[in-house]
Amino acid sequence: MLNDSNLVSVPAGPRSALQKALRQLPEGGLERQAVEAGEIDAVIDYGSVNVIMFPAARRALRVAANRASVASRKAVHEVTLANHVLAALPSAEYQRLLPQLEPVTLKFGEVLQEQGAPIRYVYFPVDCVICLLTETDDGRAVKTGLVGYEGMVGMSLALGVDISPVRALVQVAGASHRMSAACFIDEFQRGRTLRRELHRCAHAEMAQARQTAACMGSHLFEQRLTRWLLMTSDRSRSQEIPLTHEYLAAVMNARRESVTQAAGSLRSRGLISYARGKIKILDRTGLEAASCSCYRPI
Amino acid sequence: MNRRTGKSKPAAAEFTTVVVLRLYVAGGAPNSMQAIANLEAICAEYLKDGHRLEVVDVLQNPRRAMAEGVLVTPSLNKLSPQPAAQVIGNLSDKTRVLLALGLKPHVE
Repeated sequence: MLNDSNLVSVPAGPRSALQKALRQLPEGGLERQAVEAGEIDAVIDYGSVNVIMFPAARRALRVAANRASVASRKAVHEVTLANHVLAALPSAEYQRLLPQLEPVTLKFGEVLQEQGAPIRYVYFPVDCVICLLTETDDGRAVKTGLVGYEGMVGMSLALGVDISPVRALVQVAGASHRMSAACFIDEFQRGRTLRRELHRCAHAEMAQARQTAACMGSHLFEQRLTRWLLMTSDRSRSQEIPLTHEYLAAVMNARRESVTQAAGSLRSRGLISYARGKIKILDRTGLEAASCSCYRPI
Repeated sequence: MNRRTGKSKPAAAEFTTVVVLRLYVAGGAPNSMQAIANLEAICAEYLKDGHRLEVVDVLQNPRRAMAEGVLVTPSLNKLSPQPAAQVIGNLSDKTRVLLALGLKPHVE
């Protein structure tokens, strides 16, 4: 028999609707047997063209919906957390931006933007690090900036210029989001918070370039190398930096021997270790002390 | 939630009877999920490619269930071959499902 045991926790409205629908099931039919066995989730009320759920089924659906909602919020949160510019956006602005963002994996040595060439995409790094290089007359390219999860590559677009003043080279491989230049210009004009965040980033990038210029002229190579290692470690959120001495010598406009000598000195003091193209920071506080004062402001 | 699994085309060389089934469920409610899992297991064991299963979510489309006279969910209708049959509940009673589908249980 159908009784109230199935309906104990049902509020008055749905309970009476469910009772009414259950009463309409044929006496002695398969439906009633299945209800009594607890194998039914819902009854269809033909009068109101409505599906009336049993309390347990309704609760289960509500719990599943909540879980899905939490999971989706968490996923959005994790993505936004990964890049600080995106993380700073209010939900509505971020949701509008989301369809334009394309997740990409960047490889070491990939050139994202060429100096003097039009900017096709802007990049919001997640765990990769992009080195900004400025070419000199003799064909060499010297590092003038570093961008990681705290910023965006292609800042000139935010300042109204669609030509890149630097070469953007992937220094540490990893994940990033990219957006086409046309979409970015549109979103930059619409999004107040995006604009504010990118102005802040542009200021930081400018300050970093100025500090780098001052550093180049006044500090020892070992100090500058130490600063570069710390900055790369900060932006890749890792104490292990996959960089070779050759690469460091090239971007720091130095000889390979100078890099080997400076790295050897840091290693002998127990600050770093290196093997097979990987530098590992062993004593971060010690390394910060060994760096020049330029590390702190940038 | 409308899903179709299995293949309707019999092998060219031999004629195989395709069992056409329609399962009415209420979203992801526990008995409905259990019915889907039980039925898929039975189909995989006994019918393999010789079946066509459609899962209809009555929360999205109650009128489809009403058109076929379905009163509660989960509810399984065997549409072909004749005779048509109906199994109501979460399909945990395998013998009853096999009987409705016109299949003999495997000897254990």
